[in-house]
Amino acid sequence: MTEEALTPQTSGQDNPVLWVVRPMATAARQFLKSLVRPSTIIYPFERLEDPKFREEVAVAAGKPIGVGAVWDNYRGVHALNIATCISCNLCSFSCPDLCIEMVTVPGGNPKHPKKCPQIDYGKCSYCGFCSDACPEGCLSMTTRYELSVTKRSEMVYSPEKLFEVFERKLPMNPIRLERPANEDAILLDAPLCIGCNACARDCPTQCITMVDIPKPETPPGAKAPRRIWKEPVVNDSDCVRCGTCISVCPKECLFWGTRA
Amino acid sequence: MSASLYSVAHSLVAIVLTAIGSVLPSPLRQGITNAGLITALGVIVFAAILLIASMLNTIVLIWFERKLLGRFMDRRGAMHVGFAGLLQNFADGLKLMRKNTFRPDEADGLGFYLGPTAYMVTSLILFGILPVSTGWNSGVLPLSLLLALVVFSFAPLFIFISAWSSNNKYSLMGGMRSAAQMIAYEVPLLLSVVAVVVVSGSFDLNTIVAQQQNYWYWGPLFLALLVFVAAMLAEMERIPFDLPEAEAELVEGWNTEYGGMLFAFFMLSDYVRALVGSFLVVLLFLGGWTMPSWVPSAATSFPLAGIVWFMVKVYVVFAVFVWIRASLPRVRTDQLLRVGWNRMIPLALLSVVLAAGVVMVKCLPIFGCLPNLGI
Repeated sequence: MTEEALTPQTSGQDNPVLWVVRPMATAARQFLKSLVRPSTIIYPFERLEDPKFREEVAVAAGKPIGVGAVWDNYRGVHALNIATCISCNLCSFSCPDLCIEMVTVPGGNPKHPKKCPQIDYGKCSYCGFCSDACPEGCLSMTTRYELSVTKRSEMVYSPEKLFEVFERKLPMNPIRLERPANEDAILLDAPLCIGCNACARDCPTQCITMVDIPKPETPPGAKAPRRIWKEPVVNDSDCVRCGTCISVCPKECLFWGTRA
Repeated sequence: MSASLYSVAHSLVAIVLTAIGSVLPSPLRQGITNAGLITALGVIVFAAILLIASMLNTIVLIWFERKLLGRFMDRRGAMHVGFAGLLQNFADGLKLMRKNTFRPDEADGLGFYLGPTAYMVTSLILFGILPVSTGWNSGVLPLSLLLALVVFSFAPLFIFISAWSSNNKYSLMGGMRSAAQMIAYEVPLLLSVVAVVVVSGSFDLNTIVAQQQNYWYWGPLFLALLVFVAAMLAEMERIPFDLPEAEAELVEGWNTEYGGMLFAFFMLSDYVRALVGSFLVVLLFLGGWTMPSWVPSAATSFPLAGIVWFMVKVYVVFAVFVWIRASLPRVRTDQLLRVGWNRMIPLALLSVVLAAGVVMVKCLPIFGCLPNLGI
């Protein structure tokens, strides 16, 4: 029977017995094969990334892959480490879908509340720009892909919920853009500065220090400018280029540029 | 071997009625422990037990088919409701019960409702006729095989009635096909049964099974078994002979217009008929509930041993039907007719001749009058 089943389909076409025997032999072989374990997996209870499927999936894919069935640079749900977040807003700035909103979380002081990203997965396109932009590496994309919810409001992941994802220690997307060290520095248009301290106050990394500058001699009769005789100095190695200082400067005297 | 189902039901009713009567005043007690009342209620309880057991078996049969078909197709079948999806069909049945029964405006009311009801009833009657084990059936019918086949072949009539009165072209084509199909399979089916009757010398299924105590008929009557199974597949309207339903060509065949509980009637009756067809194969060719001699007597004397052994055989036969369903494509009507008349009838006639030969061999002096041919 096996030999008959293995012969090409053209032979024995005139024998009606083979019309019955051959498909039944094929079906029986399939039955015996899937009696041990059918090809289907019981998805919500079993996953292809389970260890018991890992080898099988790698063979099917033709190459060893990262985490079971999911490539390790997969861009899934974000994980947020609230403890290291510096509230720099860069993720929200970089989001092309405007799905990231910075919401207040406990941990800041009343004057400078701590703000962490809240992500609306109904809008998110999983481009990964936010995790590329994050200077502290606290916002990363994981391999988690199951996002089915029954209500639209459940699609909005609060920082706490993103922190829960982080706490599960899921594999993170390791790909991260390297930023040039000395480009995009914060430069100061010194004559405009009034020394108001707003930039240093709001800098999330505290890399701006206000240094004293000498008060110039004014000729008699001329009026001295009304300002605080201090000037911001940016520590480039600590600066994350978030631009908060530029946006808070009341005199628009800070700007992007390349430091000589 | 064990008390008959009817006597069990009768004594059950008697015990319950006596218990009720003992707390009642005297005139009521006289009335409630009346022998006639006990007998009547006993019949009803007997019928109810038979019905429930048959329905449970039918629903489990559907589950069995779904699981087997799944494995044939490299998947798992129903998985989540109950153990391995065992309760899935009960859930489906509940859903169908809750649905509205809808009749098209143009449909004929009488035929539309009569068809499925009569189809269901004639299918269920078969459970009262076919013995599952000694003492299980309602009584000893001398012509039970004939009666079973007659009731079994009612179905195309009711299919045709419901198809015609649905007033739908697909339904009508399905009904026509069902009637045409009957011409193809009914003659070889009965001829192959004649072979069994010739060997056993009886139309009584109890006798036929008792005759197979020493050897099952499928050995000497293998040809008749082949013809019977093929004709039975056509009778049950299962793939590869499901021409009347043919969901690829006719929407749902003759039950296109049916929904809700009426569809459930058809669906359930189809599986009742599949179960009964497997019953008949086991009764006629595979020795019924007779145990092999190597089974220890402790297992044989267990009250339900005969039924369990019988049902194991039935499910194995049904598994073969499922295997055929998973393998073969649907044939055309002309192909079915050609196979029926050109192949199956000559083979069935040949098997009748062979059966006569078997009878002659049995009565030859050198073999003794009842030789043990082995299984």
